[in-house]
Amino acid sequence: MVNVHGIIYAYGATPNLTELVRNRTAASIPYCGRYRLIDFALSSLMNAGIHNVGVIMQRDYQSLLDHLGSGKDWDMGRRMGGLRMLPPFGLPEYHNGNYSGTMEALNGVRTYIEDIKEDTVVMMQGNLAGNIDLEAALRNHKKSEAELTAICTDTTPEYRHHRFVPDADGFARRMVFNRYEAGEGIASLEAYIVSKELLLKLMDYCYTENKHHFHRDAIANYLEGGGRVNIYMHNGYAKRIMSTESYFRSSMESLRPEVRADLFPVERPVRTKSHEDVSTYYSESAVSRNSLISDGCMVEGEVINSVIFSGVRIGKGAKLKNCILMRGCEIGENVCLTNCIVDKYVTIGADQTLAGSPALPLVVPKFSKI
Amino acid sequence: MKKSCIAMLLAGGQGSRLYALTQNVAKPNMPFGGKYRIIDFPLSNCANSGIDTVGVLTQYRPLQLNSYIAGGQPWDLDSADGGVFILPPYQTQGEQGAWFSGTANAIYQNMSFIEMYDPDDIVVLSGDHIYKMDYAKMLQVHHEKAAACTIAVLQVSMEEATRFGIMNLGEDGYVEEFEEKPRHPKSDLASMGIYIFNWPKLRRYLIEDENDPNSSKDFGKNIIPNMLSAGEKLWPYRFEGYWRDVGTITSLWDANMDMLSPALINLFDPNWPIRSRSNARPPHYAGEDAEIVHSIVTEGCVIEGHVENSVLSNSAVVGKGAQVLYSVLMPGAVVEDGAVVEYAIIGERTRIGKGAHVGAEPDGTESWGVATCGPDIVIRENAAVPAGAMVYRSEEV
Repeated sequence: MVNVHGIIYAYGATPNLTELVRNRTAASIPYCGRYRLIDFALSSLMNAGIHNVGVIMQRDYQSLLDHLGSGKDWDMGRRMGGLRMLPPFGLPEYHNGNYSGTMEALNGVRTYIEDIKEDTVVMMQGNLAGNIDLEAALRNHKKSEAELTAICTDTTPEYRHHRFVPDADGFARRMVFNRYEAGEGIASLEAYIVSKELLLKLMDYCYTENKHHFHRDAIANYLEGGGRVNIYMHNGYAKRIMSTESYFRSSMESLRPEVRADLFPVERPVRTKSHEDVSTYYSESAVSRNSLISDGCMVEGEVINSVIFSGVRIGKGAKLKNCILMRGCEIGENVCLTNCIVDKYVTIGADQTLAGSPALPLVVPKFSKI
Repeated sequence: MKKSCIAMLLAGGQGSRLYALTQNVAKPNMPFGGKYRIIDFPLSNCANSGIDTVGVLTQYRPLQLNSYIAGGQPWDLDSADGGVFILPPYQTQGEQGAWFSGTANAIYQNMSFIEMYDPDDIVVLSGDHIYKMDYAKMLQVHHEKAAACTIAVLQVSMEEATRFGIMNLGEDGYVEEFEEKPRHPKSDLASMGIYIFNWPKLRRYLIEDENDPNSSKDFGKNIIPNMLSAGEKLWPYRFEGYWRDVGTITSLWDANMDMLSPALINLFDPNWPIRSRSNARPPHYAGEDAEIVHSIVTEGCVIEGHVENSVLSNSAVVGKGAQVLYSVLMPGAVVEDGAVVEYAIIGERTRIGKGAHVGAEPDGTESWGVATCGPDIVIRENAAVPAGAMVYRSEEV
């Protein structure tokens, strides 16, 4: 039995995801033809044998709840433990509607954290597209004898992030905050392995000092007090999806075999809610190149450099290039789409032409009829 | 727990006429139509018909079938007071255990399972048919006709009738005579091997038949004729729609090819979904030079070559310059770069080496047939497997 508990953050407001988060949180954005972003965190935990997991959510979590169900798809539908949803309790401190930081979110579910039976907690972001080998990370954490391990990447995130500056012994005793580009230190993926004891200590400190942020407040305080952070490098693909543009770019990257090999290694499969779908049917007139196509589709047109979710119908003569089509879309005959993100259950009538640009893809909102 | 109707699914047959394909697995566990295993069809039909208790009778190489069915969750058959039950032959106190010696004997040996539910009627199904059918409608007719047994029948051509069990009807529309594979058929109504029996009556006939040393303990050969001669009412339930027995290589290949014609059987119907256990693989990937025409493709496939008129199960791989034509690739089958597979069935995880050629298009001769490679085989580079071949092991080619 693995003596580790998982916590996934699925509450963050990500306004740059625009229309994609109109009806959902970033963690439940559909990704790579059949998944939701949170599947990566859940599967990483599951593949390391961690079955007791709490998901902290705050708003717009209807689609997330629907996706998670009882957690059985990730072996987390357990009589003892298993998956726990942690929506807010509506305490008066959270009057402004958003947790102002991770520590506030954790303090909001404090009794849950106190009840955790395991000694070690893994904290993950729900919007990370990356398959992390947590078993190796946990081994590394144990060997280091550190109380806190940060999972980092040697790539440079395109958004605001925090960086750890390791000393010669490999431990970080210093951080730099709020960077946008490469520079001193290595970038945190904001996935941490922490002893339950230290986590509660940091939560106490933040609660009494009225501080809210995990990095700027909690870790900074820990480092000031002489703490050290063990660094575990995740070498594979990992991107946090923070904006429509990064969603589009990451989706296009998933067409590359080496990216898919990182995201979907055979030994650490990514699980998701299963749908009743048939195999995809290609007609005589179908063309499909450099594309990912999920089950349950009917393809009669042309699909190039695109990601197609399940249950999509593409009519004769339709031409799709650099597009993402989510579940249940119906594309009429001779429709021409370029650089579009088409949300779930959109219907586009015959002969329409829609186009965005790679820097500014066109998002067609869920249930639109054009 | 009383249930008005439960289903018994006969899934113990070896499927010996599928040769290499069933050397290690039972026929009901055979991959079919890209996404499915054959047994998904009767199990989904049960779930969609509102039958929540299904006994699956297994005998021949049941291990993979057992793990595939497991708790029955993909078919919503994991209900609290019913569900799907694997029923292998078992030993009883004082007596020697025995294998199922016939279809009727298999049910006879599991009478105590059936009696746990004290059903009014039982549905007896085969695990090797491809069709969509609402057993609830058939049950309704069974009650309306006050029948001891209702047999689903399909209208076939007179030539085909010689291969089936044929029902001859009386003037009142009830079955008068049952002929197994008649040389000169008097009717074109063929039994589909789907029965609904009044359970108390069937129970009596099963016990009588078990005591008859000359009986072959078979529904078609013994139980049905015995019921007829005793004057029981047997009603033929006419089924219209797609139904195929996939007991032979040719019929398995044919039925797979039928899946390319959505007009024959609509698997996209949201009101009658055929469910299966998912493998949780990523969507299939069509490469830069892929050509996929008139085919069905399943999750986890990677296609870099040319695929036409074919059925690809999950995680099949078609390399660069490879061609797959009029063929069935079972889960995990790999066709390496430049290889050609035509008019063939490639078993699970079998690897067709670079430049190899499996199968050939029909040439009109008697000897032509679908080429078949069993599971877990490696066909070496540039090897040739002729039309109609049956490859059991890697060394053969």
